[in-house]
Amino acid sequence: MDDVTITYDPRGLVELDGTIPKVAETDGERAVLDARELSTRKINAELRWLLYEQGVKEVTILNPSARHSLGVGILTRCRITFEGSLGYFGCGLGDGAEFQINGRVGWSVAENMMSGAVVIESNAGSLAGAALRGGDLVVKGQVGARTGIDQKGGTILVLGSAGSMTGFMMQRGRQIICGDVGPGLGDSMYDGTIYVGGKVAALGIDCVEGEWTDADTELIERKFRIYGLGAPPEFTKFVCGKKLYNYDSLEPSERKLVL
Amino acid sequence: MTDEPQKIQSIDAEFLSGERFAYQENIGLVEEIDLDAATPGEDINWLEDVELLIEEGTPAVFDRYSNSFLKIYFPIPDGRENEIARKVLIAHLQSGNSYGIRLKEKHCKFPQPELGPWVEGSRTVGDDWRAPVLEGWEAPPH
Repeated sequence: MDDVTITYDPRGLVELDGTIPKVAETDGERAVLDARELSTRKINAELRWLLYEQGVKEVTILNPSARHSLGVGILTRCRITFEGSLGYFGCGLGDGAEFQINGRVGWSVAENMMSGAVVIESNAGSLAGAALRGGDLVVKGQVGARTGIDQKGGTILVLGSAGSMTGFMMQRGRQIICGDVGPGLGDSMYDGTIYVGGKVAALGIDCVEGEWTDADTELIERKFRIYGLGAPPEFTKFVCGKKLYNYDSLEPSERKLVL
Repeated sequence: MTDEPQKIQSIDAEFLSGERFAYQENIGLVEEIDLDAATPGEDINWLEDVELLIEEGTPAVFDRYSNSFLKIYFPIPDGRENEIARKVLIAHLQSGNSYGIRLKEKHCKFPQPELGPWVEGSRTVGDDWRAPVLEGWEAPPH
């Protein structure tokens, strides 16, 4: 039997060959990358090479084929378009990048995003915007459960409906849900604001209706205008009732975790 | 007997950096900063969550990239509290003075722009990271 050299992790966790493929077609500050034959690691390595080393500002990725963890950890100002759907943990840990996804996404899209924008033309799975720190996440379809779990900043805007436990343990930031939401809205939230245009199946613990202000109107109208979403519907505002937790009882080291 | 590391209560950007910066004391150094241009998208994006706070009785803005408060010593005009806090923070980040940025060259483990998304054309750091080796230590055989 011939010797076999394994160049990949047989568990499917890590591809050991991190060589940059350098196959994208570039034209000045724009590039097109066909990802059909590339692994996740190769695609992400190519992206970083284009953006950090080649001066490219706009990348279009063809055939993402619902791979997981694409477009992760991009830490520069740029525009990235995926012509197709992504798997789980897409576009996470970003700081400055603006993503356009012409398809669907799996779990935890834009998780831990620090700044930037992620716009999804169709549906998103559960945990969209998990632990979001800043920036905008726009989902033009429906989202699953626990949207914005542990959200610490930023804005999540959903044109469709959201599942159960939306805004679970939310600590800061804003959610704008145009459709209905499932049971447990805002359960155990510390702070932040959730706007709902449709029906709420049931409020979570310590989530209460809030008083509408001009700032709420300005925020919603601004975000709808920026993303070309037309006239916003009427919303009901929900906030933390401050009965369960409050920042005053937190130690300084805990306080800074939510800033 | 080994020296214990210094322990402090505050989480102060000046302590981490070892110095105070001119834009903490002079509003004229931050007035011209364009917050829209400094952030992705068509509004101020992530800066919407940045507000003027008080740390140890002094106005301050929180720098999430070094987990510390950056105090502001000049008088802040009424009604412009959050705007000024955001401008001071952007000045701090764009200048590379945030302690988190200073740590990047030595400690970041994958390639990234040193000045992140705040400065266009920033050099790339982290492309040659190697795990530090403790002198005199040898890896166990298993």
